[in-house]
Amino acid sequence: MTDTAVATPRRRNVLTSRIKGLARRSPTAAVGFAIVGLFALGGIFAPLITPYDPVHSFPREILVDPGSTFWFGTDGNGMDIFSRVIFGARYAFAIAVPAVLLSLVIGVPLGLWVGYVGGALDEVTMRVLDALRVFPSIILALAVVAAAGPSVLNVVLVIGVLDSPIFARVVRAEVLALRSSTMVEAAKAAGNPTWRIVMVHLLPNAIQGAMAQSAVRAAWAIRISAALAFLGVGIQVPTPEWGVMIRQGAEFMVTGQWWVALFPGVALMILMLGLNMLGDGMQDLLNPRRRG
Amino acid sequence: MNAIGDTDQTTATPLAERRPILTARDLVKEFDVGGATLHAVNDVNFTIRQGEIVGMVGESGSGKSTIGRLVLSLLKQTSGDVTFDGENLASLSDKALRALRARMQIVFQDPWSALNPRMSVGRQIGEPLLLHTNLSRSERRQRVERLAERVRLPAKFLSRTPAELSGGQLQRVCIARAIATEPELVVLDEPTSSLDLSVRAGILELLAELRRELGVAMLFISHDLGTVKLISDRIIVLYLGTIVEEGPASLVFGAPAHPYTQALMSAHLPPNPRAPLKRHVLEGEVPSPINLPKGCRFASRCPVALPECSDSLPPLVATGEEDRRAACIRIADGGNRLNL
Amino acid sequence: MTLLAIDNLETDFVSRTLDDEIRVAHALNKVSFEVNRGEIVGLVGETGAGKSLTAQSVLGLLRAPARVVGGEAVFDGRDLLTLPPAEMNELRGYEIGLVVQNPRTSLDPLCRIGDQLVRMQRAHRPVNGRVARKKAVDMLAAVGIPEPERRMRAWPHELSGGMAQRVLMAMALINEPRLLIADEPTTGLDVTVQAAILDLLRQIVLERSMGALIITHDLGVVAHYCERVAVMFAGSIVEEGTVDAVFETPSHPYTRALLSATPERLKLGSGRQLGGPPPDLYNLPIGCHYRDRCERVRDICTTPPPATDLGEGHRVQCHFAKDLEGQPL
Repeated sequence: MTDTAVATPRRRNVLTSRIKGLARRSPTAAVGFAIVGLFALGGIFAPLITPYDPVHSFPREILVDPGSTFWFGTDGNGMDIFSRVIFGARYAFAIAVPAVLLSLVIGVPLGLWVGYVGGALDEVTMRVLDALRVFPSIILALAVVAAAGPSVLNVVLVIGVLDSPIFARVVRAEVLALRSSTMVEAAKAAGNPTWRIVMVHLLPNAIQGAMAQSAVRAAWAIRISAALAFLGVGIQVPTPEWGVMIRQGAEFMVTGQWWVALFPGVALMILMLGLNMLGDGMQDLLNPRRRG
Repeated sequence: MNAIGDTDQTTATPLAERRPILTARDLVKEFDVGGATLHAVNDVNFTIRQGEIVGMVGESGSGKSTIGRLVLSLLKQTSGDVTFDGENLASLSDKALRALRARMQIVFQDPWSALNPRMSVGRQIGEPLLLHTNLSRSERRQRVERLAERVRLPAKFLSRTPAELSGGQLQRVCIARAIATEPELVVLDEPTSSLDLSVRAGILELLAELRRELGVAMLFISHDLGTVKLISDRIIVLYLGTIVEEGPASLVFGAPAHPYTQALMSAHLPPNPRAPLKRHVLEGEVPSPINLPKGCRFASRCPVALPECSDSLPPLVATGEEDRRAACIRIADGGNRLNL
Repeated sequence: MTLLAIDNLETDFVSRTLDDEIRVAHALNKVSFEVNRGEIVGLVGETGAGKSLTAQSVLGLLRAPARVVGGEAVFDGRDLLTLPPAEMNELRGYEIGLVVQNPRTSLDPLCRIGDQLVRMQRAHRPVNGRVARKKAVDMLAAVGIPEPERRMRAWPHELSGGMAQRVLMAMALINEPRLLIADEPTTGLDVTVQAAILDLLRQIVLERSMGALIITHDLGVVAHYCERVAVMFAGSIVEEGTVDAVFETPSHPYTRALLSATPERLKLGSGRQLGGPPPDLYNLPIGCHYRDRCERVRDICTTPPPATDLGEGHRVQCHFAKDLEGQPL
């Protein structure tokens, strides 16, 4: 078994069969992962896959029906919707990934800190976060982006900050359970200073829930950014962003050019579904009680 | 086959002449439970000498685990003092207390929950060395390997996480971590209760060996009378957060003085069908630690109680045999013996 | 008279590894023993030996991935292993009482003690409410609960551990079962409480000439409360007999190791290696399952050990049972 000569091929076998095993235990996660992976690849290799430049306008090809030349048709500016939908995946990830990272960077330390210190600090912080949460986030986001100006960076900042309480909450709940655990008592008895108890012993054990949440929160980030764009305060025309495209297409729905809004809408829906499935599946896999 | 009760400990140096490593004086711990006060530990006084194993027995609610934590300042007492090698723990700064932790350690009941599931056991054994010594990484690794060997944990386990080890192996990890900095006192809170019989025996062997070779003092907290009897030099018996009897293991087990100790010992079932049982089954239930009885805590269930037992708390006084102390006014008139 | 006869009971675990391979473990391996009327039988062994699994297999309480694959368990002329679930439900709690380990989690927290005892009776037979309540009060008194009338109205959380265990005992006994199966009935209880519960159990078994199976890891309980004992290791019964025979002349190396590991017999500093890693059910040694840990292992141990009968029902599964019989520990 320790023979190195056979170790290499065997290892790959183990890896593939382990992936198979994980897929069996959570088919949801597997399907979600496949969908998200497909969109990510689409976004990365968009220039190679797409037949046209997403912002190139064909002045004589305005509102063309879906067909063999323009698979998803063209929009009111004569831009190819298929190419724009594919490039749209880039924007979806470009917003979701940094926004979720920002939420983690703010939320996780906050949850760790208030959870471990507890008492009045915890009470006050949690009430503030609750207040933030009950306020409709889309309106808050709308106000902030409207004031700060519509740019990808601002959208990311707003979404990242608005969503951080979720992570703070998840991490705090874990820390509360761990704080009175024997493990922490043992760490204290060994002579660990507080910072080390929090960083070395609590953090790695408290962060799982937040990680599992991140896919679901990414879906939320994409939806909010699309909503902002749809309302006209987020990313602007002609950026190939799904929310912008749906907004553009909305006015053509009444006149019968359904394809302008439909395709970005469907793309948005499928990616969100994929992210949610991935998130749910990850939760299943990480939660030992639900493990088969 | 051996008769039960011939495993008394004898030690070379008289324990009574050794320096006290830990002294608890008038220790009191109260918890606030929804407005009411729960009296967990009431005016407890005891001393642990260098290299001595003190067994602390009592049933649930007797306060033994709380005392184990107070002694190490993992819990803050309501009043009273804990003195470790001349230093009053309450007067120390956080930093000084942390530094002192190199000299006093603890092993918990449940090794599964006492270890960080996401850290290799080798790193966890080495953690006290990282915190309390200036050893280099490679020196620490060598020490950890020696410690693993010391507790008979195969070195191949050091890189694994706790989930990959059995309960007995995990408890060996906890013990290795506790002795890493060569402490002078280790508190063992039910260290073998969650383990199987044969695994338990191995751990007890190891603890006895560590005491012999390292001269470490131990506070061995357990409800398992057989285990405590086997390993302890001295026994402290608790009832409702109060010491009712204290003395050499042979005396407390051989001829318990306090009626509660007698009842407790009589309920123990030795694994020998021929061993005669002299049973005294206690009536009633342990009074609530929220409403402590005024007099002797045991008076409500004591078969030899007199009316005056409920008047005032009997003091813990010497019984005249060796250095045994007991808190029962019936010892003086010889009426403390239960009909067993 | 035999109440329950378990014969060659076999239970498997079927599971998948992380690498997606199917693994089968023979968790119970030809387990056979009997429980007679008026006796308490002790089933001992370490964690994972299959003690609780034996009870669960017999009572039809197995959950995936465990399943019975062979043998029979005859109670009252019927094989419990092939009984339809509806009939099994009828037996369980009525003719066979069950006491599980954790009294806190086995009582319905939203139901008063008295109501639970009434419900237990009505689950099996239509009973007049007043009669059922009267019987519940009597049962609570019988298990030594003071002020049973008042306790009928108590909620489970108001009970101490010992009281909760008594209530559980009352639940198991209220329908006057003929067989009682108790899984670690006193684990986690204080010794003084344990004594009272066990005294009660023995008294009831004798009075009603029931049979009882106590699953425990406490050899002291077995020594003083059981008539017969079966010692399990890695899913097999390695030694079985009267308590006197097994404790006085233990003849399987595992039983001997177990007995010498009790604090009362343990000699600290003897340097003797006791115990060892728990057996890996998925990877048991061929032949005698104990041979990896056995002090006396020989070449012959790679063949399955024969069941050696030492007389008076003292059976041992070891090649050297005859040699070990009567030797000092």
